[in-house]
Amino acid sequence: MNLEALEKIRINLRSFKRLSIKKILLTIGLLFFTVLVIIPFIWMILMSFRTTAEILNDPYGLPIEWRWNNYWQLIVDPKIAFYKYFVNSTIITIGALILTLILSTLGGYGFGRKRYDFKFRTPLFTLLLFALMLPPQIMYIPQFTMIAQYGLLNTYWSLILLYAATGLPVSTYLMATYFSQLPVEMEEAARIDGCGDLRMFWQVMLPLARPAVATIILINFMHFWNELLLAVTMNTQPEMRTIQVAMMNFVGEHGSNYAIAAASLVTSMLPVLILYIILSDRFIEGMTAGAIKG
Amino acid sequence: MAGFAIGQEIKKGSTRNSPARKPWGAIVMFLSPVMLYYLIFILYPILATFFYSFHTIEATGGKLVTTFVGLQNFFELFADDIFLISVKNTIIWSIVGPLMEMLVATLLAFIIFFKIPFSNFFRTAWFAPMLVSGVIVGLVFKWIFNFDWGLINVSLRAIGLDDLALNWLGRRDTPLWVVIFVHFWATFGYSFVLLLAGLSTISNELIEAARIDGASEPQISLKILFPMLMPTFITVLILSFMGKMRAFHIVWVLTNGGPMHFSETVATYVQKRAFGWSTLDLGYPSAIAVFWFGVVIVGVSLINRWLKTRVEY
Repeated sequence: MNLEALEKIRINLRSFKRLSIKKILLTIGLLFFTVLVIIPFIWMILMSFRTTAEILNDPYGLPIEWRWNNYWQLIVDPKIAFYKYFVNSTIITIGALILTLILSTLGGYGFGRKRYDFKFRTPLFTLLLFALMLPPQIMYIPQFTMIAQYGLLNTYWSLILLYAATGLPVSTYLMATYFSQLPVEMEEAARIDGCGDLRMFWQVMLPLARPAVATIILINFMHFWNELLLAVTMNTQPEMRTIQVAMMNFVGEHGSNYAIAAASLVTSMLPVLILYIILSDRFIEGMTAGAIKG
Repeated sequence: MAGFAIGQEIKKGSTRNSPARKPWGAIVMFLSPVMLYYLIFILYPILATFFYSFHTIEATGGKLVTTFVGLQNFFELFADDIFLISVKNTIIWSIVGPLMEMLVATLLAFIIFFKIPFSNFFRTAWFAPMLVSGVIVGLVFKWIFNFDWGLINVSLRAIGLDDLALNWLGRRDTPLWVVIFVHFWATFGYSFVLLLAGLSTISNELIEAARIDGASEPQISLKILFPMLMPTFITVLILSFMGKMRAFHIVWVLTNGGPMHFSETVATYVQKRAFGWSTLDLGYPSAIAVFWFGVVIVGVSLINRWLKTRVEY
C-alpha cells in the first residue's frame, strides 16, 4: 500500500523531469488557446452580475459588486416571466426523456440479447440506425402536418413525441450494446428459478444496465433541452415556447437590456453545465460512443 | 454509416446456441414498441417528404390540399437564386469547415496524446462549447462580433488595427465566414475527443518500440500513429461534414441567413420556405430537403470512397 504510493510519486516525478522546455512552451500556448475558447462563457457570466448601465459604459469590466438582481428579476418580474419558459422546457424534456427511456430500454434489451435473435433482427436494427445519419430536414415537414392533423400544435405533446423520436435511434443503440455485453449466466440462473421475460428485464437486467441508462439520460437531456428547429416550428404561441425560443425572442425584444439577457443565457445553460461539471467523463463517453465504432 | 458494423457485432455474439423454440411473445413485446414508434415518427415522415416533393401542399381552410405537379418543384430549384446561393454557401462551409476542424482537432489530439500537464482540464474545456445550445452560441457571438463594442473589434482597435474592425455581420462578404468560425468554435472539441479516443486504442508497444529506435514524437505521430488513426479520421471527417450540411441552430440565431441571404444555408432556407414566408406550400421545401438528402448521401460516399482507396493502396 505504502510502497505503491511511493512508486506512484516516483513515476510522477520522473514524468515531471521529462518535461522539456518545448513541452512547457506548448503547455503555455495551449493554456492561452483554452482561455480564448472559454472567454465567451466567462464574459457571459460576468455580464449577468452587472447592470446594463455598467455594461454599456465598459463592456469588458468586472462587476463592481456581485448582484443577483438580474436573476431575481427573471424569476419574479411578471413582465418577463422567464420562469414560464423554464417550466415549459422542463416538462417537455422530462416527458420526452421518460418516453425515450421506456422505448429504448425495452428495444435495446430485445436487440441486445441473443435469446431474442431472429432472422430479421439485424436488418431491423440497421434500419433503426439508418436514422442516425439523416438530417432532420428530411422528415420534419410531414412531422409538422402529422402533429397539426391531430391538433397537437402548441401543446407539450408535439415536442415530447418528436423529441422522443429523435433520441430513439442512438439510445436504443447504446442500450443494445450495453445489454449485449452482460453475462448470460445470470439470465440462465434466474430462468431456472422460473423468472419470465418481462420480470427478467425489469428486475434483473435493467438494474445491471444502470450506467447505460444514466448515459442516455444525460445525452438526451442535453439534446432535448437545447433543441431549436422543432421548437420554433411546432410551438409558435408565446406561452408554449421552450426556453431556447424564448431566449431568442427575449433578447430581440429586450435588445438593450444586456444584463437581463446575459442572466437568461446563464440560467438556461445552468442545468446542462452543472451536470457536465460533475459528470464530464460520462458526458464525453456518451456523446462519442455512438460515433466511434464502425 | 456510423453504426452499421455494430449490428454485425451483435449478430456475431448471437449465432452461438439457438434454443429450440423462439420466445416470439417476448420478441414482439420488446421490439414492437420501438419499431412502431420508428415507423410512425421517422420512417413515415421520410417517405412522406418524398411524396410531398412531387406535389404542392397548400393549407386552405384548415385542410391540406395536395396537387400532383410531377418534377416541377425540382425544376424550380435550379431557377431559384436564393436556393443557389444557399447551396453555394453550404458547400463552401462543408468543405472549409471540416478541413479546419480536422486540422486543429488532429493537432490537438496528438499533443494531448503525448502527455502534457493539465490535459484533463484542456479536454473538459474544449469539449464544453459542444454542450451549449445553438441559441446561446448565436446570441453571444452576435455580441462578440458587434461592430461598436464587440470583443473582436475592441481588441482590434486596442492594438491599433482599426481598419480591420469591420461590421462583421452586416457586410456581404464576411457573415458566412463568421458562421463558419463560430460553428468551428462550438464543434472542434467533439472531433478532438473522437480522435483522441481513436488514438488511445493504438497499442503502446508500437510507440515504445519506435521511441527506442530514436524516433521523435512528431515522427511517431506522422509515420506510425496517423496511418493507424485513418479509419477514425474518416469517420470523424464524415461526421463533421454531415454536421455542417445540416447545421441550423447557430446560423438561425447568429445571422438568420442575412443580410440579404449572404449567409443563407440550405437548412435555414428550407425552414423559411416551409414555415417562415407565407408561401403556404410545403411541397417546394420538401423538394429542397429531398434534393439535399441526395447531396449529403453522395458527399458522404465520395469522402468514404476517396479516402479509403488512399489508405489501402
